[in-house]
Amino acid sequence: MAREESVLSRRGRIARSSLLVYGGFIYLFLFTPIVLLVLFSFNANEYGSFPITGWTLSWYRQVFGDPDIQDALRTTLSVGYKVTIVSVLLGTTAAFSLVRGGVRFPAGFRVAMTLPIMIPGILIGISLLILFTQILHLPLSPTSAVIGQSLYTTPFVLLLVAARLEGFDRNLERAASDLGANAFNRLRLIVIPLIFPSILAGALFAFTLSFDEFVITNFIIGSYNTLPIYIYTQIKYGITPEVNALAAMVLMASIALLALAFVVPATYRLVRKAFTRRVAPAAP
Amino acid sequence: MVPTAVYFGLFFFVPFGLIVCFSFWTDSNYTVVHDWTLDNYRYFLENAVYWHTMIATLWVAVAATAITLGVAFPFSYWLSRYVRPGLQKPLLVLVIVPFWTSYLLRVYSWLNILGDEGLVNTALKKAGIIDQPMSLLYHRWTVILVLVYLYFPFAALTLYSSIDRFDWDQLRAAMDLGASPTTALRKILLPQIRAGITTAVIFVLIPILGEYLAPQLVGGIEGVMTGNQIDSFQQGALYARASALSLIVAGFIVLLLILFRKSLASKEAYGA
Amino acid sequence: MSEEHTALTRAELLKRGGVAAAGLTAFGASDALAATMRGARAENVTLAWLTWFDHYFPQQLKTTLKQTGIACRPKLAPSDSEIYTTIRTTGSQFDIAAMDALWVPYAHKSGLTESFDLNSMKAAKQLYPDARHIPFWKDGSNSMAFPNGWSTIQIYYNPKFVTTKPDSYDALLDPKYKKKIIYENSPETWIAFGGLATGAKVPYNQTIPEIARSKAWLEKIKPNVLKIVNQNFETVNALKDGSCWIGLGNLGVDLRVKAAGGPPIKVAYPKEGLCGWFDGEQMVKASKHKDVFLQFMDSVESQTYWAAQNFLKNGRPMFNEAAYKLLVKWGYKARADAFNYTKPELIFKANLQGPAKNQQQITDAFNEVFGG
Repeated sequence: MAREESVLSRRGRIARSSLLVYGGFIYLFLFTPIVLLVLFSFNANEYGSFPITGWTLSWYRQVFGDPDIQDALRTTLSVGYKVTIVSVLLGTTAAFSLVRGGVRFPAGFRVAMTLPIMIPGILIGISLLILFTQILHLPLSPTSAVIGQSLYTTPFVLLLVAARLEGFDRNLERAASDLGANAFNRLRLIVIPLIFPSILAGALFAFTLSFDEFVITNFIIGSYNTLPIYIYTQIKYGITPEVNALAAMVLMASIALLALAFVVPATYRLVRKAFTRRVAPAAP
Repeated sequence: MVPTAVYFGLFFFVPFGLIVCFSFWTDSNYTVVHDWTLDNYRYFLENAVYWHTMIATLWVAVAATAITLGVAFPFSYWLSRYVRPGLQKPLLVLVIVPFWTSYLLRVYSWLNILGDEGLVNTALKKAGIIDQPMSLLYHRWTVILVLVYLYFPFAALTLYSSIDRFDWDQLRAAMDLGASPTTALRKILLPQIRAGITTAVIFVLIPILGEYLAPQLVGGIEGVMTGNQIDSFQQGALYARASALSLIVAGFIVLLLILFRKSLASKEAYGA
Repeated sequence: MSEEHTALTRAELLKRGGVAAAGLTAFGASDALAATMRGARAENVTLAWLTWFDHYFPQQLKTTLKQTGIACRPKLAPSDSEIYTTIRTTGSQFDIAAMDALWVPYAHKSGLTESFDLNSMKAAKQLYPDARHIPFWKDGSNSMAFPNGWSTIQIYYNPKFVTTKPDSYDALLDPKYKKKIIYENSPETWIAFGGLATGAKVPYNQTIPEIARSKAWLEKIKPNVLKIVNQNFETVNALKDGSCWIGLGNLGVDLRVKAAGGPPIKVAYPKEGLCGWFDGEQMVKASKHKDVFLQFMDSVESQTYWAAQNFLKNGRPMFNEAAYKLLVKWGYKARADAFNYTKPELIFKANLQGPAKNQQQITDAFNEVFGG
């Protein structure tokens, strides 16, 4: 494979090392503002900026004693996972229909489904508010926020999965069919695994967009708070590094979860490999 | 497709219809009165300021998108091609993880990096390169820089998911047949990921056109974008005006999407 | 389309549809369950309070919860007009809503709020008499809102760079101050500044020709404006790090700059007059918990300690007279006096924030000046 170092030409090796350095710079670029953010969570300076007037854990202590911020975090997570599931389901099914037929005007459908990204969140929020309160007479709650946010996140999933499906080699499915796989198995064993990276990317998008969504949510969540709403409101009157502390903790938790999500299966695989090496190969 | 259609039909298109109606109604006494009028559209079409801002917004969006894709493409290429398969997904998620802090906090961090007493100026002063702090904030290019930062993961993720399924042996085959590496990339890789590139452009360009918070925080007066103007109308409960301006922007985007629909629906160049 | 293909899409559709339906039912069920649990756990009411962040402290609400059993979920109020629209469209979602000066009678007239017997409240006894009898907040013997705090908007400047005291709005037009002025994103107040500079009768409710003149004045000040901010602590930061020399703002900016480690800042009161606001909490008419409003408000606003802390933290005076006595006891008499804490009558003489008949022209004018 082209990845094998020994197989690469000298030019290939140069390309590989310079891209490695480039990748490093990208992570530096991405994480510098984040490092600053975490830094200021320990800064005694209550304005969350330079200079560093001292080191303290008081902002972290404040987070633990603040029921509002914890409530906001809980709501955010709860809305987040629901939005992810809804958008992945809706977006993937719609992508299949868009790419594999079933839609009479694919270009028009694509434009229509992209509209939610085009319209400023403010307007989606306002019009949804009116829909819920004056037309449907539904109470506003985190559920209405789930509905509103998934309108915004589903197009991302749809477009990602559709892009991947477009170039999908149908011959693979035909080959599988020739070998006796039915529609369901073709889907399960061939198509889904191959487009899974797009679905995963879509899910990541959806969750990330939801986690940080403020504009639409603010309109239709009624009197509840999510973390972005809480932070925006805090910031208006003077951000105290309590917000930085919370963000730093969320970050650490995400990285920890990430590590778990990848280390655990990897370890499991290693362990399994160690135990199955003894098994004799199957008879021809 | 049916559940999606019903879901969007009810929760998006009905409210969207409302927005369209609003744009033709009148703002009065902090409410929208059902007086039909073209005044809102006429107002925006007649006032040069809004065109000015829209053009500036467009150019910021295009520049930010081009730079974002330019920066993200080598990264996604590297991740797909040269990184061990087992490491790819964690590294990818690591790109997104910073974005599980808060948008506002991230943009605010840039104030701490580019500000008069921020990281860059302090470092330059300590190194003796400058005496007075450089004015890095509140320019249009500051907005572009911060937008590139904010939208990089969108582009990287999208491009990665498209490059990932590429069969790298095709490049070697092409080079065996005499193509230079760059030609191979240009003629073999790029056409196959065209749908991915176009999708990445959509994910970055379109939301940027509606951005208002980043410009407000780091753009100053110079960096005002159309989104800021829409936000002003919203603040004053002037929804008719806000709807009309938003629909003008949306209409323009729809136009772009229709013009570029061929790139969107590309069939694979080889096979299938 | 081959038959197989149709079968494929239908099968996958049914499967996914089924999963989706099951999923959504599960969400609905879990939400309902959580709601029931919440309801069953507490006979306690939770009030939803749409207010500004500087109207309460979390500990204040905790104390009230202990005293009365009433919990509270505060949410930030954006601008007055947005509060007005929110209350109008969300009905009973909120129980208490804050608003400024002339917005209060407007909201009341629009049927959004209900007046209450202010003077029956224990907390009312702590207020300055002027605050207890705000004429345009009166509805018979009832009051439309419980008064909270007030501030005028004045000019803060760094004397190191601004050598002549800018005691007039026109002084801000000096080209020396290019890109050195900062203020918040409030179109109404910007136009009001213009109105005061150009002689408008009621700065926050100008006629169309007056708005046109204010707009022309804003065009003149535009080159001097560095940034229009959403967060008023950005004004503090800009004055602190020297990127701005002049910032308009509520009382307390100079103090906050000093607390942030910035240079000494002075204040100037423009001679054309000051804009200002005072705010209070209203009872939402559609609220389902009106019966506990008085009890809740009384408990929150009686906590003199927190009223005094509020002044110290946010720098602008409260209408709570008892808190002044506490501040004196703590040694802050000089600071309180510097902010005219004991003279709430001053704010009633300022040009007060309120709804405008020509809101559209105001926002139009603002956008036309400050657009890219």
